[in-house]
Parts: sequence; C-alpha cells; structure tokens
Amino acid sequence: MISLLDVSYVRLGTQDLEGAARFAVDYLGLEVSEHRKGTVCFKSDVREQTLCYFEGNPADQAVAFEVRDSNDLEMAASELERLGYAVRSGTESEAAARHVKGFIAFKDPSGNGIEFVYRPERSGKRYHGSRDAGVTGFSHVGLCSSDVVRDEQFWTKVCNARVSDRIGDAPLLRIDEVHHSIALFPSDRTGIQHINHQVETGDDVMRSYYFLKEKGVPITFGPGRHPTSSARFLYFEGPDGMVFEYSSGVRSIADELLYRERQFPFEPKGFCHWGAKPQIRQFQE
Amino acid sequence: MITIDQLRYVRLGTRDLPAAVDFAGRVLGLQLVDRSDEAACFRSDMRDHTLVFFRGEPTERAVGFEIHGQAQFEAAVAELSRNGLEAAVGTQEECAARKVRALASFRDPGGNVIELVLRPLNSGWRYFPTRDAGIVGLTGVALRSRDVPACEALWTALFNGRVSDWVGETAFLRFDQSHHCLAYYPSAGRGVLAIEFGVENVDLLMQNNYFLQSAQVRIVHGPGRRPTSNQIFVTFAGPDDTLFSFVAEGDEIADEATHRPRQFPRSRSSFCAWGSESDVPEFC
Repeated sequence: MISLLDVSYVRLGTQDLEGAARFAVDYLGLEVSEHRKGTVCFKSDVREQTLCYFEGNPADQAVAFEVRDSNDLEMAASELERLGYAVRSGTESEAAARHVKGFIAFKDPSGNGIEFVYRPERSGKRYHGSRDAGVTGFSHVGLCSSDVVRDEQFWTKVCNARVSDRIGDAPLLRIDEVHHSIALFPSDRTGIQHINHQVETGDDVMRSYYFLKEKGVPITFGPGRHPTSSARFLYFEGPDGMVFEYSSGVRSIADELLYRERQFPFEPKGFCHWGAKPQIRQFQE
Repeated sequence: MITIDQLRYVRLGTRDLPAAVDFAGRVLGLQLVDRSDEAACFRSDMRDHTLVFFRGEPTERAVGFEIHGQAQFEAAVAELSRNGLEAAVGTQEECAARKVRALASFRDPGGNVIELVLRPLNSGWRYFPTRDAGIVGLTGVALRSRDVPACEALWTALFNGRVSDWVGETAFLRFDQSHHCLAYYPSAGRGVLAIEFGVENVDLLMQNNYFLQSAQVRIVHGPGRRPTSNQIFVTFAGPDDTLFSFVAEGDEIADEATHRPRQFPRSRSSFCAWGSESDVPEFC
C-alpha cells in the first residue's frame, strides 16, 4: 500500500499568468515565492510552495502528495505500474522546479493528474501574505471523479486514505488526522474540483466573505458550516473557473480505531449546516 | 442613585397588529403568551414577556426597566422629580397590562419613553418557541436621540448606568457585566432603533441569517461582528421600520474597577469588524 503523508501542492495551467498571479496575491492573499519565466509559485505556510501557476492549458492540472523517501517513491511507482498505470518519473529539472527531491506523475482512474513527491522543501522564511486573510496553509483538494466508488477504492486500497464521511457517494478522505485531504465529487469532467486553504478563525472566513464580495469575486457557496468536518467555509471562483475555499475549524480525527465514517445526504443540508445553498455544479444534485 | 435591576420589555405601537404578530412569531420565532384585539405579548426567555405589540401609532414606544424593591422604586420616582423629570405613575389598568405591581414612566432627553416597573411577572414555565431560532433572551435595546450626551448623562448620573464604549457619539451603556443592554445612537429622529435578542451561538446566528434570507426579510446589517462588544450580529427590518437583531457571543465586562470605556471612530469599521455594510444612517 502506498503511504501518503500529506498533500503538498497544486499546479495549474493558465493562459493568463499575470491575471492568475494577481488573483492569488490580491484576493487569495498568498505570497509569491518564486517568479520564473512562464511560472509563478506561491506559498501559504511554512512550505516553499503550495500553489503554482504556469503558462499552459487550464485543463493541465496536478495535485501532489508527499511520500516518505525515495524508497517509498520507487515502491509506489512499481505498484502503480503493476496495476497498469502509466507512471512517469520526473526529471531533475522538473523536480527542481517543484522544489522536491524527486517525483513521479500519473493519472488517477478518473484521469486527474497526480504527483507523488518526496522531500518537498520547507522554507526558512515564514509565510507573510499580501493581505491579512489569516491563511494558515494549503490544506486539501476536491477532485472530479467519473466514478466515485471506483476512485474511493483507488485512494483507500492502493493508497492509505481512509473515508472520514460520505456525502451521498462522494467520500471525504483523510491521510492523517485532518478530517479530509482529498474529497471526490461526481463530475463529467476531470481535474481539480476545488482548492482549500485554511484560515485562522471564523472571523477570517467572514472578513474574506465581505472583502471578496466587495471586489466582485463570485461567491459560489457560503459562508456556511460543513456538517461533516464542522469547518466554517466560503467558496469562491478564481481564474479559469477554479473554485477556491477558505475554511476554519476542520475536525481532526485522533482515534483511528473508534472513528466510524458517517453518511450525509447529497443535498444542500449535507453540505451546509447553516442553510447556505451551493452554486457549485459538483455540489448540486 | 437609581439602580436598574434589568431590562424587561419593549412595547411597540403598530397600526397593523396582525402583521406584527406574524412577524414576531414566524420571523423572530418568539412564543406568543397573550393575545387580545388590542395587544400581543411575546416571550423570549424566563420573563413573562419581553416584546409587546399594541394597536396604536408606531411612534408610541416604550422601554421597560425593572427596579428592585418598593422603597427603591419610590426613591427612583422622587429622584427623577428632584431632577426635573416628572414620572407619571401608572394606573392600575396600565400596570395590569404590563403585568407589574407599579409603573412610573418618563421621557429621556431624547424624547424616548422609559418605563420603570416593580415586580414584573416571570414565568414558571420554560420558554418554548414555535421556531428553533435558539433565542436565549432579550439582551438589548438601541434608542435614537438628538442629544446623546444628555441621555448618557441621565443614565450615568441618576442611574447606575456605565458607558462601556463609544463609537463617535454613540454610547453603549451597561447596568451589569453585559457589555450593553442600552445604546444611544445620534439621530435626527427618536424612538426605538433596534431590539436585540441573544441566540445560543454562531451556528444559530448563521442559521437565522439564512432563514431570514429565505423568508425574504430585509437584512440591513451583517452578519457581522461588533468591535465594541465583540458580539456577532445580524440586523433586519421588522414592522414599522423597527430593526431587530440577533446577537451571540460577545465580551462581558467582569472587572468594573479596571474597565475603561474605549472611543472608536465613527466609521463603518467600528460597527462591523468583518466588513458588512449598511444603509442605516445610524450604522455608517
């Protein structure tokens, strides 16, 4: 079984690098960590980078997960190949661009770009956002899935993810004590469904709600509170239609032995316990 | 000095009693305790009632405060009189309508009617509303005044009121450790600006926020957080343009000896730390 330790970063292609970077800095509140030709990377916490925009096709997206070491990476590669996945090893220069020691890339069963990395760099400098959004770090991704039951098998049987809760058939998966690092949502497209950053408090969620609303950023869901993870949330739309989420107060699952996943309905009240209605396609019936 | 025991009720005149009753029950979620052709009383907590709508003019409004003890009550009336504020002693009928043993009413320098009452009824029955709005009680009243400093002086000199904070001239007054149960907003008008009901927690506040949206109630401010009291709030319009707020959380002023009222600037951000905007002139 492939043991994933953490979610590391997302990489997003865009045809408007400047616009995307402006969104990440001015609205999302991230800090530019690196500006290379055709690429802008951002940090949101102690890690060197957690979001990267590069010039390219917006459908070209990847999310990376950390494994322990080169040994685990090799084992993961051979396991995936044995199961018939086309695995590509990253070159040295690609690894350097990602600020990791080494990585492999493949597509999950739905066709989403996934990277497994080892020794991703930490930054010696703390994160200091351009606006006081209270961001404490990149935390999870939602992935589009053409078959959530099949994909749940992949993440829980081939990898070490556990189901924390389900909304309809959509599983919220954890790889550590955080309620979920991966969420799978039924969709007729592939790619990253949403990108989550944690913020310090519920106040930060609300401040960003008014800030983004004033800036004319489309708010697609919330402010609300998830009955699953108990986090307060706000979803809004970024460049290329990407959905970003701020949340605060996500539940942590300390006791692996006693915890049992719960079933929530795939309807607004399964997503929000305050009564907000999602304007996000994958969250709608 | 006259000691206010607690805020007891708000009485609001209305020309459309059925509409007001519908609002209080369906939107606010309060429990109807009495209903006649002339008035309707609503409960929000262990007090018999905290909100009354009666058939009358929307300008007829009163805020009731409890004075504890017959001697204190009589001393209060005398004290007001010494200071040139003639308190009208309530008739038996007026006392019965308010379910109190004695009543004395006067006008503050802003022209708002204040009622001092003795032994108002409590209820032995648990508060049981129709809608699960999570209301824990009437927590405060905001009044308009053309002369806030004079009103402030009345409550702090004659009564045991203390200023907790100011936003510009707006004064938040307390009679116990709660940050405020009475606030005065400078205004061209007079009368009750807003009536505040506490709800259990942030979940209930936000659930109410979405409930109000779906019920097409006009939200005029919030959801937000007050930098002064640290309360979270959502404020919305009720009958006759009276505003109502749900509030939760908030700081108590535990140490009377060390608390100093703070001065906040008269700006939007002093009324909301989250950035909500309002068209209500008193809040911006």
